[in-house]
Formats: sequence, structure tokens, C-alpha cells
Amino acid sequence: MTRFFSWLFSLLALAAFFALLLLFVWQSLPVLRAEGGSYVTENRWFFRQHQFGAAAMIYGSVVVSIIALMIAVPLGLGAAIGTAEYLPARLRWVAKAFMELLAGIPSVVYGLLGILLLRNWVYDGFVAFEPLSGDTLLTAGLLLSIMVLPTIVTLGDDALRAVSAKQRHAARGLGLTHAETILFITLPQAGKGLWAAILLGFGRAMGETIAVFLVVGRQDNQLPENLFSLSMLLEAGQTLTSKLGGAETNIAYGDPLHWAAITGLALLLLLITGLVTWLGSVFRRRSQDA
Amino acid sequence: MTMSRISLFLLAMGAGSTLWAGTLKINGSTTVNLPAAEAAEVLRKERGMDIHIDTQGGSSGGISMLGDGLVQLGMASKPVSDKDREKFPNCRFKEIAVGEDAVALIVSADVWEGGVKAITREQAADIYEGRIKNWSELGGPDRRIAFFNKEPGRGTWEVFAHWVYGDSKKAPQVNFPEVGGNEEARSKVGGTRGALSQLSSSWVDNELIYALGIMTKAGEVIEPVTSNIATRKYPLSRPLFLLSNGEPTGDAKIFVEFMLSAEGQKLVEKHGYLKLADLKQ
Amino acid sequence: MRKLINYLLAAAALGSMSVVILILGGLIIVIAQKGLPAISWSFLSSGMKQAGASGGIIWHLVGTLLLITTAWLITSPLSLSLALLQQVWLDKKGRWSQALRLFFYTCNGVPSIVFGLFGFMIFVQYFNWGKSWLVGGIVLAMSMLPTVTLAIMERMEAIPAKYLEASAALGLSKTQVVWSVILPQSLTGLATGSLLALARAAGETAPIMFTATIFAGATFPDGIRENPVLTLPYHIFILAQDSFDPAMGPQLWGSALVLIALVATLSLLALPLRLIMHEESHD
Repeated sequence: MTRFFSWLFSLLALAAFFALLLLFVWQSLPVLRAEGGSYVTENRWFFRQHQFGAAAMIYGSVVVSIIALMIAVPLGLGAAIGTAEYLPARLRWVAKAFMELLAGIPSVVYGLLGILLLRNWVYDGFVAFEPLSGDTLLTAGLLLSIMVLPTIVTLGDDALRAVSAKQRHAARGLGLTHAETILFITLPQAGKGLWAAILLGFGRAMGETIAVFLVVGRQDNQLPENLFSLSMLLEAGQTLTSKLGGAETNIAYGDPLHWAAITGLALLLLLITGLVTWLGSVFRRRSQDA
Repeated sequence: MTMSRISLFLLAMGAGSTLWAGTLKINGSTTVNLPAAEAAEVLRKERGMDIHIDTQGGSSGGISMLGDGLVQLGMASKPVSDKDREKFPNCRFKEIAVGEDAVALIVSADVWEGGVKAITREQAADIYEGRIKNWSELGGPDRRIAFFNKEPGRGTWEVFAHWVYGDSKKAPQVNFPEVGGNEEARSKVGGTRGALSQLSSSWVDNELIYALGIMTKAGEVIEPVTSNIATRKYPLSRPLFLLSNGEPTGDAKIFVEFMLSAEGQKLVEKHGYLKLADLKQ
Repeated sequence: MRKLINYLLAAAALGSMSVVILILGGLIIVIAQKGLPAISWSFLSSGMKQAGASGGIIWHLVGTLLLITTAWLITSPLSLSLALLQQVWLDKKGRWSQALRLFFYTCNGVPSIVFGLFGFMIFVQYFNWGKSWLVGGIVLAMSMLPTVTLAIMERMEAIPAKYLEASAALGLSKTQVVWSVILPQSLTGLATGSLLALARAAGETAPIMFTATIFAGATFPDGIRENPVLTLPYHIFILAQDSFDPAMGPQLWGSALVLIALVATLSLLALPLRLIMHEESHD
């Protein structure tokens, strides 16, 4: 009986997840048929004219997440080194608990703080560059960096702790200082776990909807000629998630092509975050098995 | 097979439960929402009515949810178009005017104080299509025009597009940062230099944001003040509608009658709109 | 020189840590400062008035609690079953078992708005339920499932082998082992995973905005179809966009503070459980 119900419930749950994937693929077919590859490569999103090229949104999502990582990774890793290597056990627990509490702050609250504080800081702080307003890709990236910090710190800490104590003691026995041990022994050994932290942080950043929606500016078709130029950072932009969370989703349902374009964005998001999270999880497993 | 049996069962359960639910559901424009939500509160308290109000999708959301039969009353700050009627052939859209509002082109304080106090239709079109990018071309300060476009589907946007292009469908698709509800528009314009957006004129505070007058070809400036809106001299006025499928019945009828009564109209006025009595046909 | 690097690294590490704590702690302080003035008994116990400008948030609290309770009731049996499947009924070390685990790690990264859109298409539209608290519960359950499942799996993994060996020596069948050893031992895993997942679910806005919540008018649902609820996160979201007036400031921040308090309580409840688990697994 137990076995039967375990299998039943499990299959039910798994079926739901697969149904989700299939549904998004199925619903997106119209736009994939209509646009083909240009759905992801073209930079023109004009829903009234039924033109759907999502390149700018993919760019937006990626750029915003990279900005977040560029701040959160050094800061978070530094903090992780602090908790893993320098704090006594009790304090370490307290710090970890605190970090997790903060990981739980709802994104709408971060969004609030973004609107009320961060937006103006960016607008006033970068006034020399004449941004149009305070809602930019940079603002979203900065907000995301704070949201992703707890993830990086916790996972980084786990990765560093996973390096066996024996290695550390051996290093100290050989006369290396604490810092040298960390830099030359622990960090390299923790490599996989640290990559996991970065990948999972990236996935988290890509998937964040509400906070990004509120401060990114929501301007379509913002794709720079040169993908690596910094000029776009102080402009308003659009990410996959900010589009999904916005007005178009509400009005698209009656129009099959428009709705397909929207579910297509969700599918893209699903695939990208799925891939990144999968990779990160594989690395994490490998680092723990070591 | 199993899917249809399950859905039948769920539908039956659902249908059964709706028979017991005497809820009045209303959805639509954030502009109409302000007096409507307060009216709902009054009716809830005084007559024990059960009323759900939401603002999903703005005016367009109100129309489409009424068309889909998901709500009994829609709220819209724009008229129901022929396209909408075609899209929902089973719905006999009835527009019930409860007030009037005007859409203003609002600017931030620095633009107003920099000398720009009126705008022509041609200038609006030029800005919208990106031909004019700097306030200096309108006699204002040397600053980029930070235009925040209202989201698609919002009644406010439709009124603007209708004024500039004669038909909102003729509006070209453009790329500007978007704002959603009225408050978001106000706070963004208020907090950004050189800002311009479309907003219900009742939200103007003349401190952080100002309403531009409309300059006609003859050079006359028409400001969005009550007298101009009431006589429809100000071209960007729009009626505030409650929408119903055919004649409203039951709770919907009670709600509509309340909004049209003196008490309801006072609520309309309280939020800065014009009540029906103010309109001079 | 080497000493210098030693000091520098220590400084950098502890410095980063302090910065992180300051940023995050500062957030809490800002919110508390702005929100505390709004908190009063009437705020917590009365309904919303004037489209959010005054009144209280009782129905928002009720709605949020209803959604997360429903989500938990759906997730728990499913997660337990999945964990049991992975640990007991399938070969623990086998390919399927590992794949299942990796699958859930991956699902953990799915953005919640995707679940919301799924629920919207299937339940709100196809089943014609309209916006409903049950859809919200289902959608939140899906977003919680990976976290809770993984927590239970890891707890089960940590059950000391000696218990399982003893059971085998006593001749217990697999089912008997499940009920007398594995499930009781996994309860802390279920509890911790649930609390953490619930904390996250309570604050979610994106998945419920298309499926379960409205801005005004709902109280306690009286059926499934067309029965949305009011919720704290959506309330904050709309106030921040549509009706946020400097005058409404305290209302907005008060709601935010209550939401954070709810999330924090759920997370904090998990702490002692995790300490117990941590100590037990180091037998």
C-alpha cells in the first residue's frame, strides 16, 4: 500500500512538472513557426504588428544578472571566506542563520526599496552620465546583487567547508600562513563548489521577476550594437521576467500568436535557468562527493 | 478522456459553488477604480453586498474580462471599440457613463519652470515618434525629453493616441520606458528631470508635476481645467464608464445606480473627476 | 610580506562579511523604521478601507495564510512520496535515484512566474475556474515541492545506517521500516524544508498575481471557482505602483513589515530543528 501510494503520488508530481514543460512548448509553437530563429536573434518586439524578436530581453536578463554577479561574487565570496575560515563555529551558525533570514525577504519588498531608495541613488549618483531616469538596467542589476548575496555566501561557505580539514592541517604543518592556506589550498580545492555558487546565483538572478519589473524601466528593443558596450547600462531596458510580469501578459491571452510569444519567453526563461541550475547542481554534487 | 472527466467534475463543483456565491465582480481601469472601490466599500458596509474589485490590465482588462464573462461589471476610461465588440460577440457591451476625466500631458517641475507650458498636437506626435528629443526645441531647457509611455491597454494611453493620431490603432509602435498605473506615472515624472508622460489630470499636484496646456493651431492655449473639460473644449477628455453585458441586473444594477446617485457622484468628484452634472453637453 | 598578506586577507574577508551584514541589516532597519508607525491592533485586525489608504490588512493576512497552508497540504504527501521513492523503493545509489535528485535540484531554479503562468493556463482558463485560492495553492505547491522534497531526501540520507541494518537484522519488511524508522526520522526534514519553502512562498507575488489574488473586496472564500483572496505581497505590489501616495506610506511599509515578520517567523522556527538535525547526523 505504502509503496503503491508512494509511486502514485510521485508520478503525479512528476507528471505535473513534465506537463508544465510540454504545455509551454506546445503553446509557444505558433510564434516559433512564425518567427523561427529570429525569435531569439532579432531585436524587434512590436506586439501590435505581430513582430516578436526577443533578443533585447535576453540581453537584458543576462546583463542584469551579470552586473549582479560582478558585485555579489567578490563580496559574497569574501564574506564566505570570513564565515568559513575566520569565524568560530557558534558565530558561524549565527551568521548563516542571519543570511538565510535575509534570503527570505520577499522580492516585492526589495522592489519597494529599489523604487524608493536605489532608483534615486542611481539617478543622482550617475548624473554626470545623464541617465534618462533612475530606472535602468544598472539599477536592476544593483538590486539583484543584494538579492543574490545570501545565496553566494551560503553556497560559498558550504564549498569552502567541504574542503577537508586534513588538507588544511597539512598545509599549516608545512608552515603556510592562514592566508596562504586559504589562497593556495582551500580555494582551488573548493573550485567546483564555488562555481556552483556562481551558477546558482546566476540562475536566481535571471529568474527574479517583481523586483526587476519595478526598477528596470521596461523599455523594449533596447539592444546595443556592440554587446559589450556599457552605454546601455544607464538606459531603461526589459528582461524576460519584466515582460512576463507586465501588462502584455494580461492582454495577450485572446490572441494566439501574441500569447505564443509570451509563453515562448517563459519557455526561454525555463530553458536558460534550467540549464544554469542543472550545471550548478552537478558541480555542487561533485564538490560534496570529493 | 480522463482530462475531460476530471474537468467536468471540477466544473460541476465549480458551477455548484458559484450558485451559492452572490459576489459582484468588477475589474478594469485604475482611474475609475478610485471612486468605484470606495463605492464598493460603502455598499459592503451599508447593504452587506459582496463585491470584488481588481485592476488587472486596466481598461482593456476590464473590457476583456467582461467579454469573457469573468466579471459582471467592467471599468473603463475609454469607449468600447468595434474591434472589442467583434472579439467578444456574445457580449452586448453597454457603456454607462459615471463621470468624466481628462488626460493631461504632465511634465516635471524643471520643464515647467524652464518655460514649457503648452504643447501642440504636432509636437506631441514628433516627440512620440522620436523626431524631437530635446526640450530646447519646445522653448524649454536644454535637456533630453524623458518620455514615459503609458502601458498598452491603459485607457489613458488610448485617449492620448486617439488625440494625436485620430485612432489609437494608427499609433506607430515606439520604444519608450513604460509606466503602469497612475501613481507610477506620477512618481516617475515627479522624480525625473525633463520628464513627460500621460496622466489623468486629477493627479496633477502643481508642485512636482504640472499639466501642459494644449496649444491649438490658432495659438490658443487650452488648459485642463474643469471649465474646459466640462465643455469638452479640452480635447483629451474621456468619459469614465462602468461596462455591463446588456442591462445590469441584480447587484450590478444596485452598484450602477449607486454610482449614478448623488452619493456616488460625490465620490467621483472627490477623486478629482467631473461628475455627470458638471458636463455641459 | 607573508604576514602582511595574512592580515590583508583576514581584513578583506571580515570586511566583506561586515559589509554584507550591514547592507542586509540596514534593509531590515529601514523597513522597520518606516513600518512600525503603522502597526497597531486595528491595522492587524481590520479590513482595508479607501482602496488601501487606510484601514487594516486582516484579510490580506488571512489570504496569505490560506494560500500557504493549502500549498503545504498539497506538497507534503507528494514530497514524502518522492523522497521515499528515491531512498527506499528505488535503488538509492542507482541511476534513476540520482537522476531524480538532480531533477529536483534543477527544478528548484525554475522562476516562480513560470508556475504562475502554468496555473493560469490550466486552471484559470482551461478549467474555467477564474482566479481562485486553490489555484494559488497549487501553484505555490509546485514552487515549493523541490525544496521540501530535497530537504526530506537529505534527511533520509542522513539516517544512520545502524538503524537500517538493525531493522534488516530484525527481519522487517521495507514497508515496516518506512513507517517505524524512516518516516519518524524524516519528520524534522519535512518540517525544516516546509518552513523554509513556506517562508519563500508567503512572499511570492508573481505566481499568484494571475491566478489567485485581487486588490480589493475578497474576504474568506466560499467555494473554489471565482474565489480569489487578498494577499500581502500583491497588496504591497499594487500600492507601490498604482496607489502609492506619500500619505499612504505607513500603510505600505506596515504591510511590508508584517510580511517580513511572517517570513522571518517561519524561517526562525526552522532553526532549532536544523540544529537538532545537525547534531543528530554527527553521531
